[in-house]
Amino acid sequence: MSDVTTATAHAPGHSVEESKFWIYVQIAMLLAVITGAEIVAIGLPFIKWSLVTALVILSTVKFMFVIFFFMHLRWDKVFCTILFFIGMVLAGGTMWALLQLFGSEASKPLSAASTTDAPSAFVTELS
Amino acid sequence: MSSHAAAATIDHHHDPTTSTGIPNKKLLMWAFLASDCMFFGTLISTHLIYRLHPPAGNPSPRDVFDVPLTSFSTFILLMSSLMMALAVNAIQKGNLKSMRFSLLTTAFFGAIFLGCQVFEFNNFVFEKHMTITGSILGTTFFTLTGTHGTHVAIGVLWLCLMYVRSFKSAEPQPGDHPWLGNILHAVALIAMILLGMKLVLSFVWGFQEHGFTGGTFGAVAGAQWAVIAGLLVCFGALRWFAGQSGPVQFDQHNAIDVETMGLYWHFVDIVWIVIFTAVYLLEYL
Amino acid sequence: MDATVKSHFIPHEPKAPAKSFVLWRPTAKTGLWSWLTTVDHKRIGFLYGAFALFFFLVGGFEALLIRLQLMVPNNTLLTAQQYNTMFTMHGTTMIFLAVMPLGAAFFNFVMPLQIGARDVAFPRLNAFSLWTFVAGAIIINIGWFLKDGAPDGGWFGYAPLTTKQFIPRHSIDFWVMGLQLLGVASIAAALNFIVTIINLRAPGMTMMRLPVFTWMTLVTSFLIILSFPAITIALVELMMDRQFGTNFFEVSNGGMPILWQHLFWVFGHPEVYILILPAMGIVSEILPTFSRKPLFGYPIVVFSGACIGFLGFAVWSHHMFTTGMGTVATAAFSLATMAIAVPTGVKIFNWIGTIWGGHLQMRTPMMFALGFIWMFMIGGFSGIMHSAAPADAQQQDSYFVVAHFHYVLIGGSIFALLGGIQYWFPLIFGRRVSEFWGKLSFWVIFIGFNTTFFPMHFLGLNGMPRRTFTYDGNMGWNTANFIATIGALILGVGIAIYFTAMIYTYYKGEKVGRDPWGGRTLEWSIPNPPPEYNFTVIPTVHARDAFWYEKHHQDEIAKEKAAHAKDDEAHGGIHMPFSSVYPLLTSVGIVIGAWAVSGMNSNPAPGIHAKLAVALVGGAIMFVGIYLWSLEGAEGYHLHLGADGKPIEHDEPAGHH
Repeated sequence: MSDVTTATAHAPGHSVEESKFWIYVQIAMLLAVITGAEIVAIGLPFIKWSLVTALVILSTVKFMFVIFFFMHLRWDKVFCTILFFIGMVLAGGTMWALLQLFGSEASKPLSAASTTDAPSAFVTELS
Repeated sequence: MSSHAAAATIDHHHDPTTSTGIPNKKLLMWAFLASDCMFFGTLISTHLIYRLHPPAGNPSPRDVFDVPLTSFSTFILLMSSLMMALAVNAIQKGNLKSMRFSLLTTAFFGAIFLGCQVFEFNNFVFEKHMTITGSILGTTFFTLTGTHGTHVAIGVLWLCLMYVRSFKSAEPQPGDHPWLGNILHAVALIAMILLGMKLVLSFVWGFQEHGFTGGTFGAVAGAQWAVIAGLLVCFGALRWFAGQSGPVQFDQHNAIDVETMGLYWHFVDIVWIVIFTAVYLLEYL
Repeated sequence: MDATVKSHFIPHEPKAPAKSFVLWRPTAKTGLWSWLTTVDHKRIGFLYGAFALFFFLVGGFEALLIRLQLMVPNNTLLTAQQYNTMFTMHGTTMIFLAVMPLGAAFFNFVMPLQIGARDVAFPRLNAFSLWTFVAGAIIINIGWFLKDGAPDGGWFGYAPLTTKQFIPRHSIDFWVMGLQLLGVASIAAALNFIVTIINLRAPGMTMMRLPVFTWMTLVTSFLIILSFPAITIALVELMMDRQFGTNFFEVSNGGMPILWQHLFWVFGHPEVYILILPAMGIVSEILPTFSRKPLFGYPIVVFSGACIGFLGFAVWSHHMFTTGMGTVATAAFSLATMAIAVPTGVKIFNWIGTIWGGHLQMRTPMMFALGFIWMFMIGGFSGIMHSAAPADAQQQDSYFVVAHFHYVLIGGSIFALLGGIQYWFPLIFGRRVSEFWGKLSFWVIFIGFNTTFFPMHFLGLNGMPRRTFTYDGNMGWNTANFIATIGALILGVGIAIYFTAMIYTYYKGEKVGRDPWGGRTLEWSIPNPPPEYNFTVIPTVHARDAFWYEKHHQDEIAKEKAAHAKDDEAHGGIHMPFSSVYPLLTSVGIVIGAWAVSGMNSNPAPGIHAKLAVALVGGAIMFVGIYLWSLEGAEGYHLHLGADGKPIEHDEPAGHH
């Protein structure tokens, strides 16, 4: 068998396969542009929260393009998508919960001064 | 051999021998990636948690990070994902030459990414004096990006081995030791990548220290003559192996293996998308 | 799913590969080498079970030492250091080396049979999981034979106790590395089971016709692949602190030890559901069989199992109510923990509904299953008491917790697993344990177990703390401790009776024919012990409780099977996987590398150089193992069945037709 199998030109899936090449290239260009936009964005003089949201949205868009197109989820059985999203959502949820826990007032580390003489500081806080 | 006639009409998305039609290897890899989400999720969480209340004496990321360099490596990794998708596309159509080129390019870009990381780590440790043991930022940053880098390195290794595998002879002659050839081929490719990284980094450091001049170029080239010689040898070996004619045991039926590897590679890329945003970009707001 | 079509996703060689030195496939069917290279899910399941039962005895011995030490106040049987090692190893052994592998034994042996498959999706990966489990068991226990001793930082390894500053000995390194290996083994196995259950079901076996045990295998496997990464990261961070001086848990440099607790319990809580869901699956098989009724409310039992699994990721900080997380966090986790009792309660009601109105056959497996319902419920009550954070403030770190988790783990998991062994023994070995000895062992275990752990509820509420090697005689804890130790000895006797009966039956027990209990699921449709290829013909499933349907539609099924047998023959016969040595080789490389990292010293000389060298050797062996594993390919051979039903082996490797 030769090392280059010529796909029959009349095979029904052939034209669909051919066009995927350009889809991939276009998406790669889009991802590059979005990355560039992100780098520009951090220098812009907007309030922090709007920029954070914008960055998160842009990253999510890149993420989704890679998984649905490069990783082929768009054309595969939906179970693959469900399977991956279970892991992704759980990881995201756990991360959110951990950041909430550690971000809360109760989780702020005691200051350096009070950690060195911890017992008396603790007593002071109780009284 | 009826199965070869069927080759031209393979449906790469449907395996009739499974209950769902999803090929077993693909399902395995997606389940593994769901697991890897939790893996990187907890590691990224550790880093972000320690960014909430940094202790006194902790370096500030803005003083340390080099966004232009990291943006460049991010772009490179994205392009490697493109090449990976093209490699899968090629082998699904049975186009071996195109697949091999795309695999090599993917590995090449992956190696550039790793080289950038080596450069970055070197810079952080020796110029910015941030070490893995010296501060909490150093600890979490190097562990997180180092773990990601290790995933990339494993991917590059896998790509090299897949490339070599695509040369496996279909009709081994008696007295042949094809496995020996395969091992030498793999060693040549991996050595070329490592030597190439070393050479480029040497040049970059040389230029950094002594300026971008012809003199520096000559000095570094002179100092790295062994590396250059090794590179030429490896390159020659790769050309020789690639020039081997004869049928190989690698066609559309192997596309599932390339696709599975591709899923891993793309995942490593999307993890980097998250790390680039959460670890680098968010620090600048 | 069309089993007769050859998959184009398994690349096939155009002709038989030449027999080469490194890529030969082992062909022995008997003897030690055949066991070391087996990829047969039944043999792998048996090996998991054998190791698990061995470590169950080891863990039980550790428990007896604990109870003997606590029998009387101010006892001197064990020093404080020895006591720390005992409770650490008892917990670690029972959870990771006894209950989990016993579950794995059943997943491996029974699940493929229940879905009508010939093996799991990746037989060599299955073997790899087994041998890596053995590697992990070795690393965890190797400290017993060394100066630094076995792990002694608690089964939960809290930082900063387990940092180099407080336990510089290798005991903790063995714990860290051993658990990492066990994690790798578990994740690989779980991935395999997920693909198997989703993709290798017999025709007609829809998801809602799966036996509940198979459903629980699936949910447990999801829990494993999603929860183990958290402990993997926690262990990596601890290991890096210990080996490289990083600051993850180093307070002086900004580290926060509480992070260890969070990461550990993000894993640890789903882990306890990993321990109980297989048991619930087993009970859901035993009850219908011995009530002569189908499971009551199948869809809701399945859905509840999935809910418990999913909710199990949202409750981890209920292990940390007393760590000062703040009101909002504490309340949130308290509520989530209470919520998780609902699907559990739903299951219990459905089990009661199964028994209700049934024609009960009080055989030994049924005794264990009924015991499970009652004992697990008691454990659930103490669990709900913990879920109220204010109450937990008193109960945390007291014997009340010890009582709670032993009721759910022994009264729950162990009862169900012991019942499962009795239930499936005839299938696996073709022999059945005697009713008298089986039931006797149940009652002695039941009495011993309750005598040991019920008093601990009172000990806890009266303030006795956990993990303390002795107590003063004037605390009011003497009587309860004494009773508990007597109970432990009775429990030990019960376990001894159980094991003796089991081993005796293996060699000399009553032989029984097929389907001795009148089962409902497909594993009972094949000869016992099952042949290598499981099913002569892959069954077609028409309903839930597939075998029950087969038994009541025999003509229809016979015709179907004859037609399928013809199809299989026309397509080359029964496809069986080759054995392989590479999973074992890979695990050997891993254990060598793991030993180097955890057991060798960086200094003094030869120090770091020797450590690095051995680690690299281990890594190289592992890499070679993986490389050759991938190179040898997923080939198999074909079996044809003769007129007598016995296999005639075909020489050609599969793919050649």
